[in-house]
Amino acid sequence: MPDFLRMGIVLMVVGVVATAILSGTESVTRAPIAEAKRQETLRMLKTVLPEGYDNAPVDDTVLFSDKRLHRKEKPVTFYRGRKGGAPLGVAFVVTAPDGYSGNIDIMMSVTPAGVINLVKVVAHLETPGLGDKIVKPEWLNAFRGKDRDNAKWRVKKDGGEFDQFSGATISPRAVVEAVKRGLDFFVEKKDVMFQPAAAEKKS
Amino acid sequence: MSDTDSKQIIADGIWNSNAIFVQMLGMCPTLAVSTSAENGVGMGLATAFVLLGSNVVVSLIRNYIPSDVRIPAYIIVIAAFVTIVDLSMNAYMHDLHKVLGIFIPLIVVNCVILGRAEAFASKNSVSAAALDGFFMGVGFTLALLVLGGLREILGAGTFFGLPVMGSGFQPSLVFVLPPGAFIALGFILVGVRWINQKRGSGSPV
Repeated sequence: MPDFLRMGIVLMVVGVVATAILSGTESVTRAPIAEAKRQETLRMLKTVLPEGYDNAPVDDTVLFSDKRLHRKEKPVTFYRGRKGGAPLGVAFVVTAPDGYSGNIDIMMSVTPAGVINLVKVVAHLETPGLGDKIVKPEWLNAFRGKDRDNAKWRVKKDGGEFDQFSGATISPRAVVEAVKRGLDFFVEKKDVMFQPAAAEKKS
Repeated sequence: MSDTDSKQIIADGIWNSNAIFVQMLGMCPTLAVSTSAENGVGMGLATAFVLLGSNVVVSLIRNYIPSDVRIPAYIIVIAAFVTIVDLSMNAYMHDLHKVLGIFIPLIVVNCVILGRAEAFASKNSVSAAALDGFFMGVGFTLALLVLGGLREILGAGTFFGLPVMGSGFQPSLVFVLPPGAFIALGFILVGVRWINQKRGSGSPV
């Protein structure tokens, strides 16, 4: 057998065997991975949404895409919590494009009246020890109970009421502004926000 | 494989030619993920598993692979093991997988693994290759534990997430930041050299 053919065949065999093993692994782990992701979302929703919902918000979702939620208009999932069928709150992720280093993903939950229940930073790349203080509950608690009119939606340095950190203004400013944009979007879409999913789910 | 040989392999893997402290291989994941003891151990174990698996398989197929195409064949083997680790960690250790994130796929290009496949596994029996892979992995994991632990203690005052320093301790943030990785590694290397000198084995390089 010519050398080049032998090499080709050997590589092909190695490749085929590796592919077979990997596709086996993939099919075994597919379900646990999906389950782990679902559990993660569930845990997150449990901490963020107002207490007392009796539906499964992870399955009661609606998609919106808007520049204010994500600069590239990536569709954002809104998880809706209901109690006895009545809307209790909605949780969704807004992405601040203007963090100190990259995007900051913020999960926020809003009651049907347009009041913020809780804000949580789910992903960020801010500087450890400086900008990453935005994940601290002590700071994020300042958003609790705020709506569009009862708060000055800026950091203190810009004449608002939210603390910045010494040495880090950009990160908290990005978070405050993203939460404000998310709230604006919610208020604007309030009427369609809690409609049953059927209509929108088609897309 | 004689008894002295396996003792030699074990000693080499853990200390004499420790992948990080002596061979200085695989620096990218080492410096990047060693911000805490837990991350270091997680990365170390993932790498150790790939190292063991790829060493065994490379040793098994060493007589069938033409030497001209051995590197691509080894890379396929390594990549397959890395993907298995990636998928399994995502499924069964989801939280750790989220932390280690992009560094798991990067194990493929960790020079330690290809280095051992090329320098050891392709020339030795399966049992010797398995031993070598395992103890190289252990050495790698221990090195990451030392580096990650040091950085976590100095940079955050904790060890495996538990506070270990008194309340008066002011964590020095720089050790968690990238420059701290280089500084900490530098001092650890000084220590390793010093110990080797004391033991009279001279410089290992």
